[in-house]
Amino acid sequence: MESIAFGIGITALAGALATVAGAAENTESDIGSQGDPNSQVQLAPQMGYLHRIFNKAIAGEPPAYGLWVCLGAGIAWAFMAMQINPILALVLGSALAVFIQGVYATTAYLGRTASLAKFGQPVFVDVLKSMTTVTMAHAFVAIFTTVTMCHLINAALGHPFPLPLLGLVWGIALGAAGSATGNPFYGKERQYQSQKFGAGVPIAASGNIVRYAEAGERNSLDNGWFSAKLGGPASGLCFGLIVFLEIWRTVLFEQVGAGWGAIIVGIIMILIFAVIDRYIEVWARKNYGPYGKPAEEGS
Amino acid sequence: MSAVGAKPQAGGAMDMPATIAGIILLLVIVGATYFMVGPGLMFMALIGIIIGGLAIAFGVHFVPVGGAPAAMGQAPGIATGVAMLAAGAGLAGLFGGAWAAEQGLVVAVVTGAVGGGLMMAITCMFVTFIYVFGMGIPCASGKVAKDPISGDTQAEFKSQGNEGHGLPFVSYVGGVIGGLLGGGGGTLIYIMLLDVYKEALPGMMQALPAQVLPIAVSLAGIFAIGMFLVNAVLTAYNITGTIEGPHDPKFKRFPRALVASAVASALCGMVAILIVAM
Repeated sequence: MESIAFGIGITALAGALATVAGAAENTESDIGSQGDPNSQVQLAPQMGYLHRIFNKAIAGEPPAYGLWVCLGAGIAWAFMAMQINPILALVLGSALAVFIQGVYATTAYLGRTASLAKFGQPVFVDVLKSMTTVTMAHAFVAIFTTVTMCHLINAALGHPFPLPLLGLVWGIALGAAGSATGNPFYGKERQYQSQKFGAGVPIAASGNIVRYAEAGERNSLDNGWFSAKLGGPASGLCFGLIVFLEIWRTVLFEQVGAGWGAIIVGIIMILIFAVIDRYIEVWARKNYGPYGKPAEEGS
Repeated sequence: MSAVGAKPQAGGAMDMPATIAGIILLLVIVGATYFMVGPGLMFMALIGIIIGGLAIAFGVHFVPVGGAPAAMGQAPGIATGVAMLAAGAGLAGLFGGAWAAEQGLVVAVVTGAVGGGLMMAITCMFVTFIYVFGMGIPCASGKVAKDPISGDTQAEFKSQGNEGHGLPFVSYVGGVIGGLLGGGGGTLIYIMLLDVYKEALPGMMQALPAQVLPIAVSLAGIFAIGMFLVNAVLTAYNITGTIEGPHDPKFKRFPRALVASAVASALCGMVAILIVAM
């Protein structure tokens, strides 16, 4: 009984850490325009819309976070093998991984923006100076929480994978969940804020991203502020639920029916999420209604 | 490719000379492995790895991926890359499957499959959540007039000037099936390699089985992740960009990916087995 209570406690803590990680990951990627919306940041100058949005698409979010979290976990693991206090090792490992992220962010911004020179897009050194540190700070939160979560799974719950491997697995899953949930909110709602609400961006408007703020030109900190209101928390909730439910069903039901208990609980949860998804889909169809015929003005 | 250019194109025809060359290559690799390690655990592991690779390659075709256009609500699907999302789901499944490895092959593979399916079920639900409550956009497919599962009509819910948006229910189900196949396939590869390494490493390193277990687990885990990415990326090339799910005409291209994936999995599997066999 005591071990189950301990397991549930660790599960809850891992889920909470994952929630923070998801929120920080999505906000970091939106400030740096790292996900798929980056295509528009890259496209805008080519269509004649020069901007001051940070543009650091290093790779897709899943491999990028796979690298950083794996690096953080690997360095922390090495420090722990040197008998350094685990908490200190986790902080140091994450901090060193963040420096790699900072190097990648700098070279990505300079390289990507320099490639747009023929369209007249300048490299803004003040953008580089002010945005890189902010993405690094968010990346630290995301990496540290994920590495700590992996350490808990490995050390307290006894998962067979070593810490760096767990870092790679959950880093990739973190990027996948964060980019899937958060990208549309940043790409459609923020970059194309001037377009109609409640409709997709017409393909003809591609590249015409919003470039001006209430005062002066819009920068990526404004974008971070915006996506932290919904895209970030939703990504956090998504990744937190994935981690929490995956561990919860194993810790609590693994011993039931020689492993089949956890499987049945997993299938039931999949069905519950399918019902919720279908409910939301039907709710939208009923409440928002159809757009009407394509020839008419879209509502 | 832009969303404008991504018109429905089946392109599922098999290139026969390439297919035959692929099958011959597969037989050569399987034959060479048989010649080197003989019948037994290692050869059966190679067969298991090929089956796991095929499950991953087939599963990736089910995952609804909209890429960059989906991030602007210009095309249906999840706004990320094919290989990325499939890897995220499959590795989440591998995590669960590896945990259940000691409970036997069937339980571990099914646990891995359910882990991958659960990851996709949660992620796809949040995609719909963001589209509906964050952006006020209902789900609509651009490839079919009616959702094959729910029967909902799609055309009138498509906003002007784009190809659809969000995840219609058939795409949601496709995502979950993709996660199930990816998680199960990845776990099968892991278990097969773990058995080989647990058997071969103690003799090779002159150590007790308990001492080599961490090395066996790490080696099998990293190979399983690598082979997962090989199969996911190969399939992403076959899909070329975006796919809505099992109802998308591009889905019919899967036989090509299966041949390519069988050859790639066999080659990777042979290398993974031979590092301890020779």
